[in-house]
This record gives sequence, C-alpha cells and structure tokens, in this order.
Amino acid sequence: MILTLSLTVVGLILIGLYGLLAVRNLFKLIITLQILVKGAVLALVIAGETSGRLQLGQSLAVTVIVADTVVAVIALALAVQLKQQSGTVDVGRLDTLKG
Amino acid sequence: MPFWLIILTIVLPWSGAIIVWSVGDHRPQIQHRLALLFSGLAGLCALLLIPLTSDAAAIRLPFGAAAFGDLTFIPDSLGVLLAVIATVIGSLTVLFSNGYMQGEKSLGRYYALVLLFIGSMVGLVLSGSLFFLFLFWEMTALCSYALIAFHSDNPQAVRGGMTALLITQLGGVGLLAGVLAIYAWLGSFDIPTFLAEGGSLPGPVLAAVGFTFLLAAATKSAQFPFHTWLPGAMEAPTPVSALIHAATMVNAGVYLLVRFYPALAGIPGWTTAVILIGLITALMGSLMALTTYDLKRTLAYSTISQLGVMVVAVGVGGIFASQFHLASHALFKALLFLGAGAVIHQVGTRDMRQMGGLWRTMPLVANCFVIGAAALAGVPLLNGFWSKELILETALHNGYPWVYLTLVLTAGLTAAYAVRMVWWVFVGWRTEQFQLLDPGFQVAQFKGIGEALDPVTDSPAPATVHSGSPHPSPQFPFHAPLVILALGTLLSWLIAGEMGHWLAQTLPFHNLHVLPTLELVAEITLNEATLLALMVTAAGMVIWWWRGRILWVWYWFRPLRQAARHDFGFTWLNDRIVTDVKGFAAAWQLTQTGQLNWNMAGIVMALLVILLIIFNW
Repeated sequence: MILTLSLTVVGLILIGLYGLLAVRNLFKLIITLQILVKGAVLALVIAGETSGRLQLGQSLAVTVIVADTVVAVIALALAVQLKQQSGTVDVGRLDTLKG
Repeated sequence: MPFWLIILTIVLPWSGAIIVWSVGDHRPQIQHRLALLFSGLAGLCALLLIPLTSDAAAIRLPFGAAAFGDLTFIPDSLGVLLAVIATVIGSLTVLFSNGYMQGEKSLGRYYALVLLFIGSMVGLVLSGSLFFLFLFWEMTALCSYALIAFHSDNPQAVRGGMTALLITQLGGVGLLAGVLAIYAWLGSFDIPTFLAEGGSLPGPVLAAVGFTFLLAAATKSAQFPFHTWLPGAMEAPTPVSALIHAATMVNAGVYLLVRFYPALAGIPGWTTAVILIGLITALMGSLMALTTYDLKRTLAYSTISQLGVMVVAVGVGGIFASQFHLASHALFKALLFLGAGAVIHQVGTRDMRQMGGLWRTMPLVANCFVIGAAALAGVPLLNGFWSKELILETALHNGYPWVYLTLVLTAGLTAAYAVRMVWWVFVGWRTEQFQLLDPGFQVAQFKGIGEALDPVTDSPAPATVHSGSPHPSPQFPFHAPLVILALGTLLSWLIAGEMGHWLAQTLPFHNLHVLPTLELVAEITLNEATLLALMVTAAGMVIWWWRGRILWVWYWFRPLRQAARHDFGFTWLNDRIVTDVKGFAAAWQLTQTGQLNWNMAGIVMALLVILLIIFNW
C-alpha cells in the first residue's frame, strides 16, 4: 500500500516537473502545478502514516490543499487578465523579464 | 524597577514613532509635541537607570526561543552611559527639530525614524545577547540610511544614504560573521559568557572574531578606510547629523570595541591594528577638515577624526579615557552641529566662504558654537580638554610614545580647523571682502615667487551648497538645546571622577584606571605630556591666525592639501568599486532569459544537485 502510494507520489511529481519544463500554455501550466502539488500532499499523508503521526500529516495536507487552491485561483485570474492584456498565454512569448 | 525602566526606554520611542506617524502630516504641531514628549520621557527613564546599574541581566525574554537564545538586557554602566547619551541628546535634537523642521513635508516619517533610531540605539547598547545586538545594530543602520535620504527628491541625499547603507552593511556582515563564529564555538549568544570564556576559543577563531568586529566597528564609526560615508551623510537634516552622525550611532563602533575589549585584547596584533586604524583616521580626518569649505563637512571630518582618537584610546588600553572622550565629544559635537544647523537655517547655504560676521546677528549661537569649538580644540577647562589630555596621557603612560606624538599633531590640526571654522562663520567677512580687508592675508606680497599661493583661491569657485530645502522662517526657538549642551560642555568634566567610579562598578571584565575628579585634574595638569599638547594646540590656533605670514608653509604642503581636499582618493576608490560591481552584475544579465521554462529548468537542476549532495552524505 505504502509502496504503491509512494510510486504514485513520484509519478505525480515527475509529471508535474516535466510539465513545468515543457508546457508553454499558461493555463496548462497551472494545471501541471496542481498535479505537482497533489503529489506533495499525498507525500505528506504518507509521511504522517510512516512516522506514526497521521493526524499531523493529514492536517498539513488539508492546509496545503487550501493554500494551493488559493494559489490556483489567483494564478488563473492573473492568466485571464494576461490573456486579455497581451493576447497570448504562450509563456515563451511572455519574456518581458528578460535581462 | 530596572526591568520597567529598560522596557520603557526602548518601547516609549518606538510607540512614539508609531503614534507620531499615525497622527498624520496634516497636524504638524501635534507631531512636534508628541515626538518631544516621547523622546523626553525616554530620556527621563534612561536618566533614572543611572543609579540602578548592575552587571546581571535585568530582563530575560524568551523571544529567540531555542535557536537564538533569550533576549536579555543588561543595564551595566557602559550601556546605560550610551543609552543616556542617545536619549538625552536625542530629546534635545527633537526639541531643536521642533523649530528647524517647521514647515517641512513628511514630518511623520522624519519623527518616526528619529524615534525608531533612539529606541534601537538604546536596545543596541543595553542588549546582553550578541544576536539581538546585531539586530539592533542593523536597525540603527536602516534608520541612518532613511534619514540621510530624507530629502528623497535630492539625488545627492539619496546617493549619500545609499553609500552609508552599503558601507555599514559591509560591517554588519562582518559583525554577523563574528557573532556566528562565537555561537558555533560557545553555543551561546550571551555576551558575558563570551567575555568570560572568550579565551577558550581556538586562536584563529578568536582572531577572526576580533578582526570581523574591528571591521564592523570601523565601518560604523567611519574609520579608515571606510570613512567615506560620513561626509556624504551630511545631506541629512542637520538635527539628524547632530544626533546620529555625531553623538550616537557613530559611537556604536567604539562601543563594540570597548564592550569586547577584555576578550579581544589578547589577540596578537589586534590592539596594534586598532591603534593604527584610529591614528590614520584621526590624522586624515583633521587634515580633510582643514581643507573643506562646507561647514557640515568640516564637522563631519572632525567627527571622523575624534572617533579615531577614541579608537586609539581603546587600542592603548584607556577604556575609561575613551568613554570619557566619547561622552565629551557627544556633548560638544551635538552642540556644534546644532549651532551649525541654526547658522545654515539662517544663511541658507553650507559654504563657509559665504558666511562671516554672524557674531553680530546671532550672538547666542555664536557664543555656544565657540564653546563647542573650544572644547573640540582642547582649550583648558572645557570637557574636551580633559578627555583628550587623558587619552594622551594614557597613551604615553602605557608605553606608546609614537601614538602620543601623532595624537599631539592631530590636536594641533584640530585646533587649527576649529579656529578656521569659527573665524569664517562668525568673525571674518565673506571671502571676497575678506581678501581685500584682512591685513594678515598678504597675497600680493608673494605674487613674485611664481605660482598663485593663495590658500583660499586655489579651490574651485565658491558654489552655493544648499541645505536640503529653503527654510522660510528666519528665526526659531533654538536656544534651549544649545544652552543646555553648552552648559554640559562647560561643566561635564566636573563629574569625570564619579563617572569613572560608576563605570568601574559594573564592568567586571574591564580593568578601568579611574581616579576621583580632583586627582584626575592633578594628574592631567601636572603632566609634561599635557604641557606639550597645550603648546601644540596653541600653535595650531596661531598658525591659522598667522596664515598670511607663513604662506610658504601652505606652499610646501600644497600637494597634501590637494590630496586632503579630494578625500585622499577614497571616494574615487569607492566609486570604482561600485562601477566594477555593476559591470560584473551586467555580465550576468545573460542568465535572465525571461523564459519561464528555462527558469524552471534551473530550479529543477538545483534541486537535483541538492538531492545528490544529501544522498551522497
């Protein structure tokens, strides 16, 4: 059980990291970020279970879910604004921070 | 009782800062009164602490938890002395500001920062924990920066503030490194623990601590080669210059050296380094003060020089002498700065060549200023005389004749620029008239020799240096702070003996050489060292008086004067370093592609590297 879950965590985080490296659409990028964070949440629960402090792990997981939801909402709102302002959600073309 | 007094001395100015700020700039009179009230109450609390000194922690707050140790405050005499100076001179400058800053914009910001500074300074000197000492140290640097750049629409002020911040940050990093090294070896941030067990540290570690602390002290007290920020700090409103850049914050470096002297004095070469830095600074500062035309810069260079003298006093082992001079200097330099503030307020320029003859129009300021300048020059019976002579005597007594001789030379130069300053501002005429009228100033007589020898006109044309902003009101009630400080300058040496006794009581690790006032007076006046110093001081004054007749001396020292006027090249060096760092940063700009995916790749790579390191260990 733990092993399966652990592998799921690794899989989710790898998918997330790959997405952050490769995806160019901002909306898809936010979804990728969600996948990555879900892996982290699952990892928290597993850590709680294996260390014998499941309540701590679960409460941290809930906290992360709440925080992450806020992040997602704000990110989506910003992305919508960006789409309206600049007409694109391609992160390759959004390079105004270029030094 | 000490518990509440310490808390009040720190918290009163801080809460005052918040309250004055929240009052809002549309009610300036209330802001003036409130700032005065809070700083005055803090000064009262600090004064009440004087009889309650002890070498044990009076407050132990578990703020730092397990990581940083408790926040402790130790009301020992060294800390209380500096706290009293900070709060009392602080409230006097706030009183002065009540008139000086009349009609200025953003008074809330001004008073909030001044009050925040006063509280932080008290915390810095009373803190018994190295970690919190560092924290307060940085807070004072921050206030200093924000107040130098107070006139944020003036690029020079912003530049001066940035220079001050950068250089004092360098020292702050040094202090942090030293503090962390102590923590790594002793497992404690407690200052008494370090003073007691400092000797058990391995030699190289202790040496590293000693020299990082020296770096911190040198940057904070504007010592060679980090003195360049203090003249730039003169863009601050004059009361701020009096409080932060003359009487209190710049003393923090001397305080650091004195505080840790028992633990660090044993490091090989440390005292020599301290003496050398102090001596070079003292000499250079007085030379630069002799060549500048800006009244506030003259005072700034003079502060640098006097701080150098205090550092030398620490180096030769005169702990009491350095603290005595610190207290004297705080009084007379605050007096000089506030007097200069009154003059600048009146005249509207900082260029001494455009002043002159002000004795008639502002006699009270002139008299107070002359008292301050005489104390600076070391004229007998004023506090500066006794403290300076005590340092000279200590240097000679502890076996440093070369230090003594250099300090005597500095004293002569100090006397010369003190007379020059008073002459130009209050007595003489404006330079253009002065050249025609002063019979001692015989330029024409020397014209045949070849070059123009005129010590005045080989300078750039007198450019008007405007103080931050024009002040509309011609007069304001500046008398009270000036008179109080002048009385302090005249009389404070009378309690020198008691002060020494009081200092010795609660400093178990320092070995203070103290005497009752009468014996101190006898020891100083009956010493040949004093006689020589007095003669040189008198010679310094006479030299300025007779400068017309000894123009050949000016001619001989022309290269030296030119170098001094250009800050001995250190400003250029600073600019060069800043330019190079900027160039280096620009070279790294390539790494900023603005591509989100690339940035992510960088983060993932770093993560992989960290994981590799963790799992290999």
